[in-house]
Amino acid sequence: MVSPQELLYSKDHEWVRYDGEIATVGITDYAQHALGDIVFVELPRVGKTITQFSNVGVIESVKSVSDLFTPVGGEVTEINPAVEADAGLVNREAFTEGWLFKVKVSSEADKAGLLDASAYDVLTSAG
Amino acid sequence: MEELAPPLLTPLDALHRELGARMLPFAGFAMPIQYAGILREHAAVRQRAGLFDLSHMAQFEIRGETAASWLDRLTSNRVATLKQFGARYNLVMNESGGVHDDIIIYHLPDHYLVVANAANAHKIAQHFAAQNTPHTVSITNLHTKRALLALQGPASLAILRDHVDIDLAAMPYYSCQPGTVCGVSGLVARTGYTGEDGFELFVANDAASALFEQLLRLGQRHGLDPAGLGARDILRLEAGMPLYGNELGEDLSPFQSGQTWAVKLDKGDFVGRASLLVRAGLPEAKIVGLELLGRVPARAGYRVFVGENVVGSIRSAAIAPSLGGRPIATALVDASVTDVGHTLDVEIRGTLHPARIVALPFYRRAAR
Repeated sequence: MVSPQELLYSKDHEWVRYDGEIATVGITDYAQHALGDIVFVELPRVGKTITQFSNVGVIESVKSVSDLFTPVGGEVTEINPAVEADAGLVNREAFTEGWLFKVKVSSEADKAGLLDASAYDVLTSAG
Repeated sequence: MEELAPPLLTPLDALHRELGARMLPFAGFAMPIQYAGILREHAAVRQRAGLFDLSHMAQFEIRGETAASWLDRLTSNRVATLKQFGARYNLVMNESGGVHDDIIIYHLPDHYLVVANAANAHKIAQHFAAQNTPHTVSITNLHTKRALLALQGPASLAILRDHVDIDLAAMPYYSCQPGTVCGVSGLVARTGYTGEDGFELFVANDAASALFEQLLRLGQRHGLDPAGLGARDILRLEAGMPLYGNELGEDLSPFQSGQTWAVKLDKGDFVGRASLLVRAGLPEAKIVGLELLGRVPARAGYRVFVGENVVGSIRSAAIAPSLGGRPIATALVDASVTDVGHTLDVEIRGTLHPARIVALPFYRRAAR
């Protein structure tokens, strides 16, 4: 799958959609495919301040537990209740309905540490 | 050393890759962990049927006048009373009352077939050889020499019955019959490791890949899917079947791991019997089934608590699709806390999550 152009990406396979000062975060289609059937997500608490690239939660597939890193720092404003109720949504709609949490961005400088879609696709096709 | 060696390939390796399987190392082999997805394959086996490649499993043929008594001496369950074309679960024992491996023994007209775990193939081959001096039986090691396919699920009989030359419907569970499947001669056994009805097919390596493909075609209208080891592990755990290395091991007696029913102390002497007589009365830790009360899955190795005390650890864990997605696990816990209904805590990433001890199996198929 070609990654959506309007998003930015981390090397840890998360995506970010900036919408003013709010950033929405999810994992990429590449990541959900590599993980296999996702059965549980543990997301950061609303109100928590998180820093870019820190470990903020857990994604569990049938076979493995993986850390969830945030591609952007700031204050968590919302988590997606739909993926808490049905973690398989992350497999089915990684870039859309399967978003994980939203952050009130603390620094525009975080963008410098992220990849655009074409750079991310190069990263994932090389490995 | 073993990690550096290239993986062994089953005769179906090319077909697995063609079918889009995700291959991972398992017991020295490259094996399909999943094709379309573990949960989909699990559902196929529970509701329709799934087809597995189990050619990595060890197979030994034991021949000779004394084959039954020789096997009886190495194992805890009865061999001599096994009828021709019968199959029986058994444990290869060590001297201290622990388990070298769990196996199925099939009684064929001129030999016993022993099917052992792939991970224990070398150990069992060495053990059998060492226990055969002076030479009393003839041991043929067929590991990697003969393929094994397993068709599992409620539609298995309907898929297979018109393509074999034996009366499948008349075969009892845990029996076997030599016969031909889609024109391929081999051994058909009504056994499995999923908790569903099904058949295991022992066939020549060079016929296995074409047979697997043909069965997939024949099973298409019944909803048959190829299924990998990922689904198999959840299926067996739900069905309360132990996995060697998790629920079974050299240091655990069958009384601890829950196979007391497969220990026949009155069958005559066997390796480990003297130790088992002692251990039967000891308050040793036991394998129990756990249902977690929340939604967070446990994992093997996590610690189990009563209050502030560690009382054991998780040995296998999964979310159980057959139980509505509830997290389940087996744990080895102190003898004092093994009662069904007891509530324990599982430590998951530093937080305690309550779990209840339940009777095994977690899942039992409806009667036929």
